[in-house]
Amino acid sequence: MENHAVRLTVSDFIALTNQTLEYAYPSIEVEGEVAAFKVNQGKFVFFDLKDAGGSVGCFMMVYQLRLPIEDGMKVIVAATPKLTNWGKFSLTVRAIRPSGEGSIKKSFEILKAKLDAEGLFAPERKRPLPSVPRYVGVVTSTQAAGYADFVKILNDRWGGLKLDVAHVQVQGESAPDQMIRAINYFNQLEVLPEVLVIIRGGGSADDLAAFNDEPLVRAIAASRIPTLVGVGHEVDESLADLAADVRAATPSNAAQILVPDRQEIIRSVRYKVSALLPRLLQAIETGRQTLRSRLDTALGAIARQTAQTDERLFRLRQVLAQLDPNVVLKRGYALLRGKQVVGEVLEIETFKAIMKAKVEKYDAKQ
Amino acid sequence: MTQSNKTIQQKIAELDELVAWFDSDEFSLELALDKFKDAEKLAEEIERDLTALKNEITVVKQRFDGNE
Repeated sequence: MENHAVRLTVSDFIALTNQTLEYAYPSIEVEGEVAAFKVNQGKFVFFDLKDAGGSVGCFMMVYQLRLPIEDGMKVIVAATPKLTNWGKFSLTVRAIRPSGEGSIKKSFEILKAKLDAEGLFAPERKRPLPSVPRYVGVVTSTQAAGYADFVKILNDRWGGLKLDVAHVQVQGESAPDQMIRAINYFNQLEVLPEVLVIIRGGGSADDLAAFNDEPLVRAIAASRIPTLVGVGHEVDESLADLAADVRAATPSNAAQILVPDRQEIIRSVRYKVSALLPRLLQAIETGRQTLRSRLDTALGAIARQTAQTDERLFRLRQVLAQLDPNVVLKRGYALLRGKQVVGEVLEIETFKAIMKAKVEKYDAKQ
Repeated sequence: MTQSNKTIQQKIAELDELVAWFDSDEFSLELALDKFKDAEKLAEEIERDLTALKNEITVVKQRFDGNE
């Protein structure tokens, strides 16, 4: 043994080694496959992380486990290397997330089935959003493109809204906790927003993984404020989407769902008024036709009365004509005037002449 | 918003009532022209209100990164 060698106690050696490791690896991520996964006393999680060339033990607390993990899953752990007091080397894990499409999907499906069985996604839990909210809370990253799209569409479509925006990380290790804090912040306000909008633009499955975080999904489901979640692109489905009261396909779609389009309303209002004009003209025309019809009826009645009067007059004229003495005289009869006594002169009137004649003989008829 | 204190929703509801009057039993030709003018005025007011409305966006000061 050389004279200049550093001599340490075991405890000091372990402490120095940990200090060196912490200095050398302040923050590392290790990717590997999970093996021998177990939870002890409901609090402590142990598993090995391995690849074809080696294996390293890992330790973490149950509350840090945000997603279901199983043996055989490929994961990425954020961890600090540590030498324990018993000389065992391990990784103390702060966060773990599945890696690779297969593991992400498997973890997603396990958690989805679990939360679904608890009824978190049940349709009967879904609350409707107000048709035109006035006060809205937004949870998002204000630096994200998705937020810019949301604001642009919102301003184009509607005005008069009060929007309080909680700026949070929407991807990465701390994103779920930040979003949960923001959800809790809005839910504890004295005056609650009418809708809570949670949005994030598109990204890879890894980028969107924060929205499959179990505590975040539970916080969304437990929100007193109705939630509208728009994450990623139309094809992306997150557990946060499923727990939301209303799911939007994208942040832009969230703005479309949240408020009506003022241009559509203006068009509809214009149409309503312009549609009244033909109705008004139709009413005037109907009134005119009714008036004309009544006038026609009145004129018809007058015409009928006149015709009847004419006919009566004609008949009376006929009767009168029959009573005219000239008509009788014309038929050859004569009018006789004067006393019908022998020796008297009588006046005889025919149709054509008036003559006088003396009565020479008078015989009364039997 | 125009001088009236009514919200846009209230004005739209009022317009709908006016429009419904034209199809109701209460319709009379004597009142129709005035009602039509009222509807036109209300529609212009709604359009003005809708165009003028701006959103008020505030980023809350509270930090959510756990370092507040």
